[in-house]
Amino acid sequence: MGLRSFIHRMTAPRLRGVLPGGDLKMVFVVNHSLKMGKGKIAAQVGHGAVQSVMEAGVKKPEYLEAWLASGQKKICVKGDDADHLLRLESQAKQNHILTSCVRDAGHTQIPSGSFTILALGPAESDALEPITGTLKLL
Amino acid sequence: MASTADEPTMALIVRHDLRLSVGKIAVQCAHAAVSCTLGARKSHTRLVERWRQTGARKICLKVEDLQALQRLAGQAQSAGLVTHLVKDAGHTEVEPGTITVLGIGPGPRRSIDALVGELKPY
Repeated sequence: MGLRSFIHRMTAPRLRGVLPGGDLKMVFVVNHSLKMGKGKIAAQVGHGAVQSVMEAGVKKPEYLEAWLASGQKKICVKGDDADHLLRLESQAKQNHILTSCVRDAGHTQIPSGSFTILALGPAESDALEPITGTLKLL
Repeated sequence: MASTADEPTMALIVRHDLRLSVGKIAVQCAHAAVSCTLGARKSHTRLVERWRQTGARKICLKVEDLQALQRLAGQAQSAGLVTHLVKDAGHTEVEPGTITVLGIGPGPRRSIDALVGELKPY
């Protein structure tokens, strides 16, 4: 351990808040109407994952820790179009689930600013189920 | 925008011989991206910041088999780049412990291009 992280560990506030119970996962909803290639989808989901992790590190560190420790469970499902993704996002926000949206820079394949991926979580499977449970796996 | 040759980039390299589904591949790539980012954040803090500020560029490429993937991982490590090999837990499509994706970077675009420039996009 480096000196800085050692000092950080000594001085950082203890994790507070409700400790997550049960299975944690992250769900990626892919905007299927954009007809992206599979490599494109993979890269966009990668963006979503990194964004969510950074955000969770700030907003819900206890969820992030527990999710990382339990093997970073992720699943990838199909959403119809941008409107559908927006609806799911507001639904998730009402349930206090972390969300992050990936908008593409449009260097390849699709118009710039397209809403490609909605990332939800890390959150309990039970909390995600009512929102994404009916969506098809990609 | 600064010259694009200087922007850090990340390469996600998929094993094509496993014939995984799109969703599975996407998830494995995400896993590589997260692990590489977290790994690099300690050793290459400023590089990671710059990578994220310039749009966190990622490319997704393919190789034919495990050998090619491991060879590439070795080369990347000797070039001093951050790498992560993703081992699947095997809950769904493949045997537990199967290596599926290699993540390289974030690192200088020039050194990553030198390694993976020949590979086909996935």
